[in-house]
Amino acid sequence: MSDLDSLHDDELFGASTVEVRTSASAALIPTIRAVASDLAARADFDLDAISDLRMAVDEACATLVDVAAPSSILQCRFVVRPEQIRVLAEVSAAGSDSVVSTDTFGWRVLQTLADEVEVHHTPGTDGARPTVGIRLDKRSGDGSR
Amino acid sequence: MTRADPEYGHLVPLLEQYAATDPDDPRREALRDQLVRGFLPVAQHIARRFAHRGEPLDDLVQVATVGLINAVDRFSPERGSDFFSFAVPTISGEVRRHFRDQGWSMRVPRRLKDLHVSINGVVSELAQQLGRAPKPSEIADRLGVPVADVLEGLEAAEAYRSSSLDEMLSSEQGSATVGELVGEADAELDRVDSRQALRPILAELAPRERTIVLLRFFGNMTQTQIADRVGISQMHVSRLLAQTLDRLRDRLDPDTRIG
Repeated sequence: MSDLDSLHDDELFGASTVEVRTSASAALIPTIRAVASDLAARADFDLDAISDLRMAVDEACATLVDVAAPSSILQCRFVVRPEQIRVLAEVSAAGSDSVVSTDTFGWRVLQTLADEVEVHHTPGTDGARPTVGIRLDKRSGDGSR
Repeated sequence: MTRADPEYGHLVPLLEQYAATDPDDPRREALRDQLVRGFLPVAQHIARRFAHRGEPLDDLVQVATVGLINAVDRFSPERGSDFFSFAVPTISGEVRRHFRDQGWSMRVPRRLKDLHVSINGVVSELAQQLGRAPKPSEIADRLGVPVADVLEGLEAAEAYRSSSLDEMLSSEQGSATVGELVGEADAELDRVDSRQALRPILAELAPRERTIVLLRFFGNMTQTQIADRVGISQMHVSRLLAQTLDRLRDRLDPDTRIG
């Protein structure tokens, strides 16, 4: 179904995961970004990478909250490896026309802050709302490559 | 504490008298003095509630007294309200503002502030040697403290709001070369600007914030490189960027993000 469900065991091998679920509300984004920067600092990312990830998560979540269905859930999974943190954030979209466009300043910000970033939309099916997700990868910094 | 309060009851008629006195009346000054001195224990009490948060008590009492003077000046008895219900929030507000202006939100222990200062001190040094931003483990090594302490200190840095210290440390040097770099970034900006009217919003930012945003998102420079170029610390760049992004997000029409 969605990106979050399609994580296979082999993808998680050697990684630790942390998942945060909040109401899709802008007021809760500081909590999520605090988790992001804490994970990056504990994984010994360099200070630029820690701060970039923090801002990227902030931006990604804000983008998703904007298109989220009323009173839905923002699901945010962090897959932490020594050299990289992958963030998978997802919401149920308010409607089938609620999409994240990639020619905006916000997307530019995400592309700059993350090493890889991707948006995926899944169409709604019977009984299930469409979802919008953002996947972003952040490497620990230039020094460890 | 009400009108019936024996300790302050005698001051209530003075408050009414003070409010009714013409601003040019010479007696006003003496009345004000008497009122401020009379209510001083209230200011001292509030100041003590904010003690042990890293600011000297003397400073806090002074700030609380300023709050008290404001309260005495602005109180209007004819509205029928009690002086204390007006003065207490006014005084507390003044003390809170003081903490904010000092750069720290509340409840950051002294030890963490000191740690923050030490960390900030070695970050640029390490960045110069390494050619990139340092990692927490490298900072810990240099300071000779456990990594856990550095992590705590970095976390405390997030509670550091304003930039008074950084402002004092920063300089104007390097702004000429920044201008040239921004020229290149400017061309990049055109690619996004066609969709969102970013330029007028960027134009409203302070020059330094605008420069940092342009260099990071359109000039492809890292925070550490920007810090070096602009002459402020990496942590300060990080803070300014985050604040500015927040502001830009509020300003850009959210509708433009939905296709």
